[in-house]
Amino acid sequence: MPRVTLVESVNLALARALADDPDVVVVGEDVGVNGGVFRATVGLQERFGKLRVQDTPLAEGLIGGMSLGMAAQGLKVVAEIQFMGFLYPALDQIANHMARLRHRTRGRLTCPVVIRMPHGGGIHAPEHHSESLEVLLCHHAGLRVVCPSTPAAAYGLLLAAIRDPDPVLFLEPTRLYRLAKQDLLDDGIALALDKAQVLRQGDDITVVSWGAMLHETKQAAERLAQEKISCEVIDLTSLSPIDHDTILESVAHTGRLVIVHEAARNAGLGAEIAATVAERGLYDLLAPIQRVTGYDTVMPYFAMERAYIPGVARIVDAVRTTMKA
Amino acid sequence: MKRFNLPDLGEGLQEAEIVRWHVAVGDRVEVDQPMVAMETAKAVVEVPAPFAGIVTTLHGKAGDTIATGAPLVDFQADGTGDTVDAGVAQGGVVGHMPETDEVIATGAAAAGARAAARRQRVLPAVRDVALKLGVDIESLRGNGPGGTITLDDVLAAKTAPSYAMSAPLAINTPSVMRPAIGLTETGELEVLRSLRRAMAQSMTLSRDSVMECTVFDDADIEGWLPGGDYTGRLLRAISSGCRAEPGLNAWFDGANQGRRLFQPIHVGIAVDTPDGLLVPVIRDVANRDAAQLRAEVNRLKSGARDRSLPPADLKDFTIMLSNFGVMAGRYATPVVVPPAVAILGSGRIARDVVATERGIEAHRRIPLSLTFDHRCVTGGEAVRFLAAVIADLQLPA
Repeated sequence: MPRVTLVESVNLALARALADDPDVVVVGEDVGVNGGVFRATVGLQERFGKLRVQDTPLAEGLIGGMSLGMAAQGLKVVAEIQFMGFLYPALDQIANHMARLRHRTRGRLTCPVVIRMPHGGGIHAPEHHSESLEVLLCHHAGLRVVCPSTPAAAYGLLLAAIRDPDPVLFLEPTRLYRLAKQDLLDDGIALALDKAQVLRQGDDITVVSWGAMLHETKQAAERLAQEKISCEVIDLTSLSPIDHDTILESVAHTGRLVIVHEAARNAGLGAEIAATVAERGLYDLLAPIQRVTGYDTVMPYFAMERAYIPGVARIVDAVRTTMKA
Repeated sequence: MKRFNLPDLGEGLQEAEIVRWHVAVGDRVEVDQPMVAMETAKAVVEVPAPFAGIVTTLHGKAGDTIATGAPLVDFQADGTGDTVDAGVAQGGVVGHMPETDEVIATGAAAAGARAAARRQRVLPAVRDVALKLGVDIESLRGNGPGGTITLDDVLAAKTAPSYAMSAPLAINTPSVMRPAIGLTETGELEVLRSLRRAMAQSMTLSRDSVMECTVFDDADIEGWLPGGDYTGRLLRAISSGCRAEPGLNAWFDGANQGRRLFQPIHVGIAVDTPDGLLVPVIRDVANRDAAQLRAEVNRLKSGARDRSLPPADLKDFTIMLSNFGVMAGRYATPVVVPPAVAILGSGRIARDVVATERGIEAHRRIPLSLTFDHRCVTGGEAVRFLAAVIADLQLPA
């Protein structure tokens, strides 16, 4: 069983999908000759040819539009947006057309597009390379938004996303691309797209996070365990739709909830989770819900990004505060 | 030695020019510390140190062009290993992705079937009230929708035991609340009698009807001549206060929205006894001299202690004095007992540091706390009364 990083597991899943299904096409800037700026598509063009793995111009609007057209004509497109901050020109195609194709044609056409992109900061990159813009996507009906946090999840979810008939936005936590390895069987088995994962069972408090922030969240849970605070850690995984049932079940058990995300606080996804727990689980709460998030300011450059991204100490602090309430 | 190769500073850029070094050979650098400013076709980019260590070689000087992937800096790095570059192995990437030896165990924690904790259904705000009142939520039975515990449930649980202390007041206590709090842990029920019951009732009456407001101040008695009678001086000061503001020597009739001002000043004095609080009354304080006041105070106090005072001595005061400071306490919020409208509290006398025209001095001062019924007495009347009390107390004799 190969031991792979998250970015390698993405490569494995892409290769598997290209090999299994002749309709699968990979497109994006530098995905072909270069092999991807993060090496996610390395070796794919050599193996599957220039028609199946296509370099595009540096034009995200074009990537969105051509993916949409190819999908409408029956291909299964996996497009790469090089960094999430470059997504904006493609949003028109994604929100106004991909998300609506099934609705607009009363189900006659679907839009089997996966758009992969790195998500979040922590790699000392310049401006526009470290954004966490998931809420831009989650707000649109007709889009699935997925964010894996482990190599195995990335592999299984990317396969599921490619096989799904509707558009899936696939957010890859940049900071985790090479941070850790996992034994992974390249067996072509997909995972459920809309399920949250309980990464760690606990009794005292539920901590929900996703993507790279789970790295700090798990460390915080370890530290809190030494203080006899037992955290249940949930990897949200599917950012839209949200698996509220898994969160509510956990909160019914623990009575407390902290939400951790790297994106800015204002109108962040944490607010949606908190609101739903308030609507459906208020009677289970023993303490006010806390959010640990990025700040409502521009994502800073590398020298300050560690101050922006919630650290273990901020998470531990929020949990302690919640436990005292 | 560790060698750091120039990473791709844009997407797919082949080279970059050194603008300025921020470090020199021999310098110690920390992770993320900017080492060099490099200019690419796109922008000037600060290149941070990928790890901590001592700089041993700089591959180039300002103005030199370095190819992407070519050596940039050599380090004597902390720790071991000889990672050669961040640029090539990670791909043509902007920035630097952290790597560790961590291996993630496969398989998420089994989210096995687990019963939700059996907790009461209760709003956080209600739970908070219960916490403050010391009511154990888990022992209650909710009367709200779906068994939800309501604010009323919590308040009923809180009041149930204290009402139950006095049989006549236990009417209307919901029977469901009886077992709410473990009375067995608090000893046998002691039914309140006489003085204590009277206190409970008059305090409840006060709480339910009087709009109390308390002001605090001090009387400087450093200038007192020797032999001053403390209680006597307080009584005389109250007379002065009532002369200045007759509105505090009064009864208020809330039901008829009227007040009665009194000519004579009958001061009720709070006396602490083993059986509870007793309030004997010194009549017509304004028309008695110091010796008469002292004699009357002594008679009433000893009569109060052996409970020999006739009922006539225990009613119809027009204003009250609580000299609690003989035991402890500087200030308090004494409680007005209706129909009277004011009570003066005098706290423990102490030497206070005061600023005088001569400098910093230590003076003996009486802390004063005046509570008045704001339904009937204005703030202005109250503080004018208090000012007159203080002025009288501050006379040498």
